[in-house]
Amino acid sequence: MLLLAPINFIDQLLLKYFDAATINNVIWPFIQIGLVVTVVAGWVAYASYLERKISAFMQARLGPMRVGPWGLLQPIADGIKLLTKEDFIPEKADRWIFFFAPYIAVAAAFLVFAVIPFGPDWAVITDINIGLLFVLAVSSVGVLALILAGWSSNSKYSLLGALRSSAQMISYEVAMGLSLIGALMFARTLSLSGIVSAQLSDSIWYIVYQPLGFLIFLVSGIAENNRAPFDLPEAESELVAGFHTEYSGFRWSLFFFAEYAAMVIVSSVAVTVYLGGWYFPFVYRLTEAKGYHNLYVIVSLLVFLVKLSVILYLYFWLRWTLPRFRYDQLMDIGWKWLIPSSLINITLSALAIFVVQALDGWHGIKTIEALANGLDLTATGKTVMIAMGLLGLGITGLLLARINWRSRDFNLKSQRRNIKLVSLPQGKPAVPAVVPAASE
Amino acid sequence: MPLVKVPKPKFIEKLQRFFMVDLLKGLRLTLKYNLGALTDKDSVGGKGIYTEQYPKVRPDVAPRFHGAPRLNMDPETHDTLCIACNLCAIACPEDCIDVLAMDVEIIVAGKPRKKKVLDEFIFDTSRCMFCALCQEACPTSCLELTQDFELATYSRAGFVWNREMLEQGRETVKYTR
Repeated sequence: MLLLAPINFIDQLLLKYFDAATINNVIWPFIQIGLVVTVVAGWVAYASYLERKISAFMQARLGPMRVGPWGLLQPIADGIKLLTKEDFIPEKADRWIFFFAPYIAVAAAFLVFAVIPFGPDWAVITDINIGLLFVLAVSSVGVLALILAGWSSNSKYSLLGALRSSAQMISYEVAMGLSLIGALMFARTLSLSGIVSAQLSDSIWYIVYQPLGFLIFLVSGIAENNRAPFDLPEAESELVAGFHTEYSGFRWSLFFFAEYAAMVIVSSVAVTVYLGGWYFPFVYRLTEAKGYHNLYVIVSLLVFLVKLSVILYLYFWLRWTLPRFRYDQLMDIGWKWLIPSSLINITLSALAIFVVQALDGWHGIKTIEALANGLDLTATGKTVMIAMGLLGLGITGLLLARINWRSRDFNLKSQRRNIKLVSLPQGKPAVPAVVPAASE
Repeated sequence: MPLVKVPKPKFIEKLQRFFMVDLLKGLRLTLKYNLGALTDKDSVGGKGIYTEQYPKVRPDVAPRFHGAPRLNMDPETHDTLCIACNLCAIACPEDCIDVLAMDVEIIVAGKPRKKKVLDEFIFDTSRCMFCALCQEACPTSCLELTQDFELATYSRAGFVWNREMLEQGRETVKYTR
């Protein structure tokens, strides 16, 4: 295989200086990390370019056009501009915290890429058995950076933005974690590679089992990333720029980087858990089964990237379509809709798995060997499961609509309620009582 | 006492709200614009992009637009058409025109005569309000306000145009992309 040749060459070269264990456990991971950091940094930089382009197209503009053909070098120009700008620290700011907050944001964002399975075999840096938990835990550290940045800036806009973002992230983190549980019932592992291989062995994407869970995860993911329509922490009209109002130059660009990296992370988790990760029908049969292992890995990588771009496009699309929510509406959606529906989703998924297993004859859930391979449903079981997923979407929607029917943000009637002004007396205006003049 | 009459929402409206039809409509619109911009062959000024690409494509100004001044010359002899009559300077409400004339000795029918010719023409565009009264006053249609609108300069002195600038026109950067 031609694609294998350079890798084998590097392997031979390294074997002259190191033993095999060092190469496998130290040197190859370093090469992988370097590759992932460069590629992801490029992706993040070009995500900003794509966002500007797509927003321009949606508004019948052209977007960046001056730097390079079709403005393709714009991210580089932006980077140079930001690096050469003054790194301003306000006089009353808490210098050290102000100094380190952007680094926390970037570190938290980039640490997660260690466990994301970009493809099979050598395309994943490390596969830890609590991968999903790790992702959720580390990406939550990003909130800390925002709070520290907002607080240390010593500015009212920064502080308000940071408080908003922390409140928002806490309320949406719950829905996000709960929505993943439904999919984990099918995968029965927290390892991200394990989730993908469970979908591979079931030859299905969990979005068809879990349409509701996917929707909840997507909405709460957008809210978690402080993206429009949930970008209240950065609401320009109210808070200038939110938590990074006082930041400039390189430090600001780190926050920018962290925001886009967090976006890529949430999209890649969504792809891994719900859209089958690097798994695509027929790829295995056409490449790996015929002995082209590296081709299989590379095609799987491309599949992953295409799925990632679809979700990222959804992000941009929603951002440039929807206006920003009001703050109470944001909390309404989080607490009154997403968290209850994720709880309902868990209940219904458990029920559905029970029913389908009963129909299928318990051959997936009883044996411990089946753990790594998902639920191993038959065709009937799959059909019933898909039908139940769609049914669950309807049931949850109706149930929550019934519960929230009286809330003013949902109910059209109460929103358009008759406006009652302070009742005026009929007829002539009352003559003010004449105060008798004080007698002398 | 209800002061505003509100119609009751119909069942179809409730259904639309439940299925978020308005959100989907909005998404469809933005997607349509995006695809229109991508599938457009000639994307600059084509059907997908409506924004005017200014330095690349010059905008069409209104026919009665008055812009940078110009002193016209005789197309054959390339002498100035200005006869230094000073009518434009008198007509100007802002006093932004200075016509400096000088006398030249010429022989007319065997007798030496003095003729007034134009020496220098000062036009202060920073004070000009582009009313074109000078253009209407000019008897030889020499002074004219053209449709060129790029008058910005880096210094205040650059707004004062002399005769050479008025006759040759100012050099501007031409953008091609």
